[in-house]
Formats: sequence, structure tokens, C-alpha cells
Amino acid sequence: MGTKATAVYFYYPDDDSIINLDKNDLEKFSIEQSFVKAIWNSKNLSDKDVLSVVSEIKKDDIDRIVIAGLKPGFRKSFFAEAMLKAGKKLEDLVIADFGQYCNGGTRNQEIAKAMLFCAFNNVPFEFGFQPELNTVRPETMVIGAGITGIQASLEVADSNNKVFLIEKTGTIGGHMAMFDKTFPTLDCAACILTPKMVEIGQHPNIELITYSEVIGVKGEAGNYQVKILKKARRVDLSTCIGCGICSEKCPSKTLSEFDAGTTLRKAIYIPFPQAVPNKYLIDEESCIYVKNGKCGVCAKVCPAKCIDLDQKDEEIEISVGNIIVATGFQTFDAKKIERFGYGRFPNVLTSLEFERLVNASGPTEGNITYRAKDKKGNWIFEPGSGEPSKFAIVHCVGSRDRNYKNYCSRVCCMYSLKLAHLIKEKIPEADVYEYFIDMRAFGKGYEEFYQRIKEEDVNIIRGKTARIEESENGIKLRSEDIINDRIIEQEVDMVILSVGLEPRNDADKLMEILNISKTNDGWYKESNSTFDGETTLTGGITIAGACQGPKDIPDSVAQGASAASKVIQSIMKNKINQNIKDIPFEKIEKRVEDFQK
Amino acid sequence: MRQTVNTKFKQELKDFGVGNWNACFNCGNCTAICGLTEKGFLFPRKSIQSIQMGLKENLEKSVDPWLCYYCGECSDTCPRDANPGELMMSLRRYLTSTYDWTGLSKKFYTSKFWEAGFIAFFGAAIIAAFLIFLPPSEGIFSNPDAFINNQGGVMINSMVDGISSTQFIKIIEYGDWTMAIIVALLLISNIFRMFYKVILKDKSVQIPFFAYFTEFFQLIYNFLTQARFSKCEKKSYWVGHLLLMTGYTIMFLVIVVLLPEFQIEEVKPWYNWQRLLGYYATFGILYFLVIAAIERLKKSDIKFKFSHGSDWLFIIMLGLTTITGILINIFRLTGMPVLTYYMFVLHLAILVPMIVIEVPFSKWSHLAYRPFAIYFAKLKKASYAKQSIKSQLLTT
Repeated sequence: MGTKATAVYFYYPDDDSIINLDKNDLEKFSIEQSFVKAIWNSKNLSDKDVLSVVSEIKKDDIDRIVIAGLKPGFRKSFFAEAMLKAGKKLEDLVIADFGQYCNGGTRNQEIAKAMLFCAFNNVPFEFGFQPELNTVRPETMVIGAGITGIQASLEVADSNNKVFLIEKTGTIGGHMAMFDKTFPTLDCAACILTPKMVEIGQHPNIELITYSEVIGVKGEAGNYQVKILKKARRVDLSTCIGCGICSEKCPSKTLSEFDAGTTLRKAIYIPFPQAVPNKYLIDEESCIYVKNGKCGVCAKVCPAKCIDLDQKDEEIEISVGNIIVATGFQTFDAKKIERFGYGRFPNVLTSLEFERLVNASGPTEGNITYRAKDKKGNWIFEPGSGEPSKFAIVHCVGSRDRNYKNYCSRVCCMYSLKLAHLIKEKIPEADVYEYFIDMRAFGKGYEEFYQRIKEEDVNIIRGKTARIEESENGIKLRSEDIINDRIIEQEVDMVILSVGLEPRNDADKLMEILNISKTNDGWYKESNSTFDGETTLTGGITIAGACQGPKDIPDSVAQGASAASKVIQSIMKNKINQNIKDIPFEKIEKRVEDFQK
Repeated sequence: MRQTVNTKFKQELKDFGVGNWNACFNCGNCTAICGLTEKGFLFPRKSIQSIQMGLKENLEKSVDPWLCYYCGECSDTCPRDANPGELMMSLRRYLTSTYDWTGLSKKFYTSKFWEAGFIAFFGAAIIAAFLIFLPPSEGIFSNPDAFINNQGGVMINSMVDGISSTQFIKIIEYGDWTMAIIVALLLISNIFRMFYKVILKDKSVQIPFFAYFTEFFQLIYNFLTQARFSKCEKKSYWVGHLLLMTGYTIMFLVIVVLLPEFQIEEVKPWYNWQRLLGYYATFGILYFLVIAAIERLKKSDIKFKFSHGSDWLFIIMLGLTTITGILINIFRLTGMPVLTYYMFVLHLAILVPMIVIEVPFSKWSHLAYRPFAIYFAKLKKASYAKQSIKSQLLTT
């Protein structure tokens, strides 16, 4: 047992609502240990004055210091200095970072104590926490069929293992399918994505389950029973020939999700022409038959008789060994920032809406036009409603802002530059103004891309836009031009808000179903942010893509492949870690004792 | 101009209020959201940047903090919670202390004990002076009815033994004038120092001579109407402030300049001009005080979230002055000479230290600095205009 006189310093730099530890209980647990001589925290110990710590060490004759809490590594150098000045050895400075293993779940308090216990006994907690191994079923489930899920599925399936790919909407493809070009190479997004989508549809090892949601997970690492809700598609996938007569005759219209709400689609629809599976589906919310039992035109005209309007949701259950979560992101709701006028001014768009507008497969076939109101009051794009000539792109909408999202969404700077390029490409004489705070062109070829856009005569202004108002000649933006020391009030025809990425609204629901955890900003938490960005503390569940944090396409693809490699590893070894979170305290205690023998 | 980075400057500023300047990442949101900023006067960001970089000279020659009325919008929308509005408030305190040559201002702002101690000492001195040199007449205890006039009010100038009622009012009036002159001299000397720091020392500006005269009306106009304040997003602050300013100015004129008309033996009817003025002033001051105290306690609006000691001292002192003033009036009208006398002494013991401390050295000095800052800003603008014409001529 640890016999050296120990002091414990508790460090909580910011109050972490997710971890939510009972701090007094942890202090009590520490003081109960016979060798703990002092409990320090920010209240009774100055965290600036090294000499006062040295005198504390000498006063209580402390030989070891345990720095516990959240991000305790921040204080390591400070205490190391104090230890050296007090003539103690550096190896007696131990860290217990609660944030690493206690995150979400009900056992936070117990795990924190276990971590303290390991630290007190000088046992690396990786050893104490080494989970036991289970055998693994070879099947894998991938949740979310965006580019990350597609990549992960293909990697696993290509290693000759069965994959169930679950997708919530009617088609795979995710956000990437909506984009026009990818940065920095300006490749056509659809051209590089659709071959992969087709591959998914045709792969013998992949069972694609679209229009479905995971509603329950039972079992343990290596052998999960997953309950899946297959929402009624009302169109039989095997017999639908995709002729489109049903959609042509359908009388009900609603805003298209795929076009980010910038145009209308029918109630029976195919999300986009390259959808996989390329079959129609009926949207309950806008279908007249579902609402009041009258209509049924589509069923009458269908030549293949594949429409079953009374189809019900069904539940299926599958057994899998591994689960890859690739649920992605949603964009920030720009309506939350009232002074930007999104939702009040028709020609203030989000970047996703504009992405559809410039897309050749979008509502205007790639012609940039004004947004106008249709008869029913929807703001949609229609071909031929005039061409704007002055554009403003506002960066950091919802990101890097303590009132909304504190983090940097990573992709906005680059896609904004790309949109500026697309505007210049379509309307060469257009004036484009970009308002940025800091330009984050961090990836391979990104900085060069930024310089290239600057050379294309895009006006790039350093200064956050503060207000967007309607004016006589369009829309007026007020901003400070920081580099030139002046205020600019610029009038433009169209404003594009570069909205940031945020966790999906239903991310927490899935998090609870899967028993994984999230970080403070709401993204799913990985087991180690430096070395292990894919696995979670729940055995057999890996995360990849934007659900783990904002990411661009190359990074998402890389992480998808890397998550797949973790899965393939476990299948080939037929061994997988049990839940780290489920290791009982007694077991850790016993291991620590064994270790010391 | 070459400047040295003053690394101690941030620490020096900390004592004047909230300082979260390190959080700022210079996005310019605050400057752009503010409706009062224009070229050459890009606050708050420029001021924050100067603090971040330790450019003390930049700040001392700038009038920017005085051009801000603290509506709080920059703080509400700041993406970094750097609280630029409160920073400008702290800078105004700092600038007040740099204009003041006596050094008392800094002492009062940075130490509550100094400020409270000074007030207590001064107040005690006034009470002592009254009790020694102008003690109450024995008669007000033994025969109070003798001090009551036909209308039932106390004859306020006759309550002191040994001097006639005309002498008493003269003594008070001389006292008032002495105080006003001392305060004015201090304030004017500080304004001259402000002028030196802002205009004379700033070698980058060359003020056209006629601008001094043509822009002078700005000073008077802004002092009286606070028109700039009305341009802020939240108009209610301007209304409240205008009520306070007009109320207090009227009160000050009445008790200093028009005292012989105001403090008289008889009781005038309620519709008499001096009583109406008094009621308006009392309403204006009270309205402001109540709102300010409630908001500062509630802390729901960002403007009132971070109250400095000097903010509270101002509310408390002015509140006590107003309450004692109202009480004098009540006791006087209802014919209670003893209470009237003591309340009169107490009123002066609060009022005089308040004016002597607040006006030249502390929060109230802004009554002069703000209009002068607007005047100086207009002068600087005239200089910028002249320079830009010059540079245009040179380039063409």
C-alpha cells in the first residue's frame, strides 16, 4: 500500500455540467485514506505562488502529491516546480484526470474514486481499468449513411464481413450529396460520392436498411441485439421501378429536405435522382391519404402496383458484434441570431441553402437567382427571378461565440471561400465580400486555396458583421474593417450566412440508447482525443465523422476508415474490450493489490 | 509615434473595475454593433486592443470612452464575453483619475476606505461646525410655536441664536458659493489637463483654428440635451438620465444661485414656481435613483451587472441627500422646528461632501468630461477632415 504522506489537490478549471461530480464526497473519500495528510483545492491553496505550496509541503511533511480533477495536467508543471523546490522527487507527482473516464452514465462518482484509488497506490489506471475481453460476432452495424458511414461500411464489407447500414432518411449520401463542389480541389461532390453510393447498393456484404432508426440496444460488447424501427415507406422496394408516374400525379407539395427547403417536392418522392435505393417513398406528414384517408392517386396510377398506402411501421431485430456511429451533424439554426435577419429577409440565406442554389442539380439548375415568395407564402428559388450582383458571406455564424457555440466549426472558412469562388465562376462581374474573424485554412492545399480565392478579386474583410438590415437597395451589413480602421456599411443583394455545425437534435437520444457519452459541447466523446479518436468507453461502439466533432470531408472519410479498422481488428482477433464503464470498484481494488504484490 | 509597451498597465487598470480584456479576439463586433462609432472613433475594440498591447499613451489621448453611453449592446452580443461596455466604464474611471492633478481621484476610485473615510470626515466636520458656530436656538425646544409663521410652516432662517434671519441665509449662501467655486476650479483645472492630454499632446492632430469656435455650440448643446445618448438603441436610459441631469441641475441652481429666493421664512403656495421646480427635480432624481438601485440589485441587464463601489456610493449619497431634503421639507411644512434644524444640518453634512468628492474627483465629473469629450472629438474630426483634404491634394 502507499505509505508515503500524500496530499491531494483538486482542480476543476471550469464547472463541467456533464461530468457533475460530488466534489465533497471525493474529498471525504481521500481523507479517509490513512496516508492522505492534506486536501488542497483552489480555495485553500494559492495556484500562483509556488513558495506557499513549498511551505505547505514542508509543513505537513508531504512526500507525494496527487493532482486530481478535470484537466489536472494544466497544473502539473506548477506542482513539479514546488516538489523540486521542496526537495522531493518528481516521480511522486501523480495525476488523476477524471474527465478521461467519467463522462456521462451513472457511475461517474465510483469511477472517480477508483481513479483516485489507483493514483494513491501508484498504479497506472490504464492497468486498473484494463477491461476484460469478450468474443465478437462478425456482423457490424453502421448508423448513418453519410460519407463517413459509407466509407466505414465499405471498409468493413470489403474485409468480407457482414454490415448492416442503417439510415434515417430515404436515401444514403447525407450532407455530402447536397454539396456542389468539394474544397480545395473543386471536385464535383456528386461525381466522387455517387460511385460509392452505388457500391453500397450493390455490395453483397452490405444490407442497407433505409428510412429506419435504432430504437434499442441490448447485450454487451461483441454481441449486441439491436432493435430497429423501419418506418413505413409505403412503397415496396423490390417491385418499385422508379418510373415517377406516382410523383407526377401526386397533388400534395411540401418543402424539399434535400434542397434545404429552397424548393418544393411531392409527398411521394425520391430525394434526388441519384438516390440509393433509387425508389420512391411517401412522406407521412404531407401525404393527403395518410392525413385524412382520401386521395390514393399514386396507388391507382402505379404501373407496378408497388404502393401500399396502409403499410405500418415495423420493428426488426438484428444481432451485431460492433457498432459504428456515424450520425453526423446538423447546421446551426441562424434564426437564433436575430440581428442577422435570417427568416425575416428572403435573401439572407444559410450556406446550405446557397449550396443547393449554385448546385447544377438544385432548384434553379445552378443559376443564382433571388429568393421569392410563392403563392402559398413559401420562400423558394425559381428559375428566372433575376440575378443578384453583390454578395456578402458572413463567417462564424453560431461558431466561436460564447452566446451560441464556443467551438470553431472548422469547415466554414473553407466552404465560404469555395462559395465565393462558385459565385465568381457563375457571375464573373459579381462583387463578393467575405467578413471573417480569423481565416482557418489549416489542411493540405487549403492555404493555397485561400490565396487563390483572394487572387480572384474577392473582397476579404477582417471584421465580424454585427448587423444585417434591409435597406433601399437590398441588404445592408454593418461591420468594422479592422485592418483599415474604419466602419463599413456595405449594401449587397444577397447575404450568405456561413452557419457552423452542431450536434444533431436527436444525438442525445441515440447517446442514451447506446450508453455512450458526450463532451461539454454535445459531440460524442472518444476514449482518448489524441490516440484513440474512434473508440468509446463503451466496448464495441466506435464513433466516426462529424458526430465526434466538426470535420470536413477528408477527415470524416479518414475517421470512418479508421473506425472500420478498429472493428476489423476485433473481428479478426475475435476479442473485444468490455465496457470500461462497467468495471466494478472491487475488481479495480483487487487488481491494484495484485499489482503491488 | 513611437510608444513603449507598458506591461504594468493592465494591472494598474484592474483596480478601476472589471477587466476581461484578455478574452477579446478583436473581431470588431462591438464597434460595429454600436450606433455611435465612426471613422477615427472606433470604440470599444480599439481601446481594448490598446489595453491588450499596453499602449497607455494611446488610451490617455483618446476621448473614446467618453463617447460611449453604455447601453450594453456590445456586451450582450460579444462572442467572447469580454464585456466591452463595462470595460469602457472602467476606462472612464481610469481617465478621470489621469485628468485629476491632485491624485485624490485615483485614491477614491481604488480604495473604498479612502472614499468613505473622506466623506465621513467631511460630514462630521460640517456637523461640528454647525453645532459650534450656528447652534440651534434654545427657543425651538422650549417655545417651538414662536418659530412658526402664519401659514403653519417653520421659519427656517430664524432657528439660530445670535444672528438675524438675513444673516443666516447669507452665511449659508457664502458657504454654497465657496463650495461651488472650489469645485469649479478643481473641475476646470482637470478639464484643462484633459485638453492638454487629448488635443495638445496628440501630435497627429492639427486643429483648424476656427473649429474651436464653430464646434463650441456642441458643448452646450450636448450638455443640455445629451443628444448623443438618445442615439443609443435603448432610449429609456437616455430619458432616465435626462430626468436626473435636469432635476439635479435645477436643484443645484436653486440651492446655490437662487438660495435667497428659495430658502425663505414664509411658505409659498404649491403652484409657486420654486415649489414646482423643486417637485420636478425631486421626481427626476428619485425616478432615476429607484430604477438604478433596482436594476443594480437585479443585475438582469448587463449594464447593471458589475457595480463598482463608486456606483453604489453615488446612489447612496444622492439617495440620502434626497431623502433628507424631502424630510426637511415635510418637517418645515408641518411646523416642527427641532427636527427641521437637525435634518437641515444632516442634509448639508451629506450634500456637501457628496458634491466635493463626486463632482471633481469621481463619478459626477462626467457631467463636464462628456460634453468636453464630444467637443474635442469634433475638433479632432475637423483636423482629420483637413488632413484628408491635404492628402487628396498631394496625391492629385
